[in-house]
Amino acid sequence: MADTNGNAQAVAPSRITTRGGLRGLLDKLLATSAGNIIVAFVLIQLACIIAGLIWSEQFRYLSPSNISIMLKAIPTLGIIALGVGFLMIAGEFDLSVGSIYAFTAVVCSMLIAAGLSAWLAAPLMIVVGAAISMSNGLIAMRFLLPSFIVSLGAMLFWKGMIFFVHGAQAIRFSGSESFKEAFAGSLGPIQMPFVWFFVLTVLFHFTLRHHRFGNHVFAVGGNAPAATANGVRPMQVKLICFALAGACAALSGIISAARVGSVTPAQGGGLELQAIAAAVIGGVALTGGRGSMIGVFLGSALIYTIQDVLLLMRAPGFYLDIFVGALIVFAAIANQLVGRGAGK
Amino acid sequence: MNAPLLETRGVTKRYGNLEALRGVDFHISANEIVALLGDNGAGKSTLVKLLSGINPPTSGELYARGEKVTINTRQESEDIGIETIYQDMAVVDDMEIWRNMFLGRELRNALGFLKEAEMKSMTMNELSSGVDISGIDSADQLVGSLSGGQKQAVAIARAVHFRKSILLLDEPTSALSVRETNKLLDYISNLRGRGTSAVFVTHNIYHAYEICDRFVVMSHGTKVHDITKAETSVDDLTQMVINS
Ligand SMILES: Nc1ncnc2c1ncn2[C@@H]1O[C@H](COP(=O)(O)OP(=O)(O)OP(=O)(O)O)[C@@H](O)[C@H]1O
Ligand SMILES: [Mg+2]
Repeated sequence: MADTNGNAQAVAPSRITTRGGLRGLLDKLLATSAGNIIVAFVLIQLACIIAGLIWSEQFRYLSPSNISIMLKAIPTLGIIALGVGFLMIAGEFDLSVGSIYAFTAVVCSMLIAAGLSAWLAAPLMIVVGAAISMSNGLIAMRFLLPSFIVSLGAMLFWKGMIFFVHGAQAIRFSGSESFKEAFAGSLGPIQMPFVWFFVLTVLFHFTLRHHRFGNHVFAVGGNAPAATANGVRPMQVKLICFALAGACAALSGIISAARVGSVTPAQGGGLELQAIAAAVIGGVALTGGRGSMIGVFLGSALIYTIQDVLLLMRAPGFYLDIFVGALIVFAAIANQLVGRGAGK
Repeated sequence: MNAPLLETRGVTKRYGNLEALRGVDFHISANEIVALLGDNGAGKSTLVKLLSGINPPTSGELYARGEKVTINTRQESEDIGIETIYQDMAVVDDMEIWRNMFLGRELRNALGFLKEAEMKSMTMNELSSGVDISGIDSADQLVGSLSGGQKQAVAIARAVHFRKSILLLDEPTSALSVRETNKLLDYISNLRGRGTSAVFVTHNIYHAYEICDRFVVMSHGTKVHDITKAETSVDDLTQMVINS
């Protein structure tokens, strides 16, 4: 187009220097949003595997039973964390996911006990989970409140509702065999909960990185006014993310009910904070706009790896809190540094 | 042909107690480049955002090609053919250049998945052909890692790429070097021949006088002057802005 200066083309000869070899690869990896967690995860796994090989008698990390316990335990938190992480990237929180997890599992068990097929009760309760979370989002956005506060209220409200509709005793989850097979059985050597977790991670990852909706999620979480100025509707995008978070929490509750065979109304407490922890450890920014599903996947796995290692070393339970607590702060600092690198 | 492309009649915009626009009558016709001048806080950006649909008026009427319209969302302004370079650029720092470029208008397949390679190459094309700014060598760079001028170039490239009948430019040269500014001015003055009208907001009266057909001076939320190039000079305009 009209170029008065004729020649003016001053692309400076490469001012970007890239380091070669392993260093260069590491630089590249650390620049991605899941970079820190991938490196940390690999190092910790390597350390555990080496320790497991050397002290195979005392430290039974690689024993089939230990691996199977881990693969069973990770998806409960992991599936919730995927939804929570997705919502955090959009710039919102839902602290009621732990209560949704328990509430939907309890009501699902009640519906099945009353004669409804699990194949109907489960999808119904997943929709209910989505609706609960969406109502948090609606209230927060309608009254311009932080979703953190609104969902804190919802956390207590729905926890109370469990006891209101059912009482404090445990309830049997008696879904059909085919249902249990699909959600708590196994596919070859891998348990179904882990299969679901993995499939959801892949699905969410592609939605977030390669679908129009994911593009809007990053934009809304990163700079909502700019998103609006470009025709994206933050309210609509965020509500869908709330629905996802609620649906994931309900799915996780139903999967663990199917796996364990019963639900205790008190279960799920603390899961909301662990899910946020998994997301932050996985590189999701607390301010929104940054993060990845691969990171959340590994963040969830890392929390359980640490828990497992402490169990194997017969450390008292409070060690877990100390480790995970410190890890959250480290991860938040690392995220912040990555963010600065990108020019913030 | 006589009805203006876009017109506001008695438009008012309130921010709480502050009246940022007070009964503004403004219009832009086909193949016309209008300068929007005035002091800081005069209401220029408020008017631009109002026409872009992201800041709907408190009262007053809007007309597009003679027909009464509402512009309450970005979608509605897009349908009328309006593209905007916002003063704050409206880019997302944590997203790549190509994602910013196509934000809200992503090229996608039937399932909604992004045609990434296509968008990246179109982005690089636009950045190196239209108002090209040096130093951007990949559409994968995060916008947050760009310099102020490069960032502005992305905002410009986006509006230019999707340009339809009306281009609103809110201080588009504020971060640009002299060479890049001249290129942009050149580009704007060539718009007439391409069927696009423009509203050019600037504090540089020389730039405005060089390329615009008509000058609207605002002060404290009202329009105080509306004068064609033939009727005025740079000195007159300067006095109008200073004394307003
Ligand atoms: N979102 C808002 N909330 C409250 N007041 C606002 C808002 N946006 C603008 N204003 C006020 O409206 C008035 C007009 O602002 P506007 O941004 O339109 O000025 P401007 O003419 O573009 O100035 P400048 O040349 O500095 O960009 C100012 O007094 C400003 O403080
Ligand atoms: Mg302004």
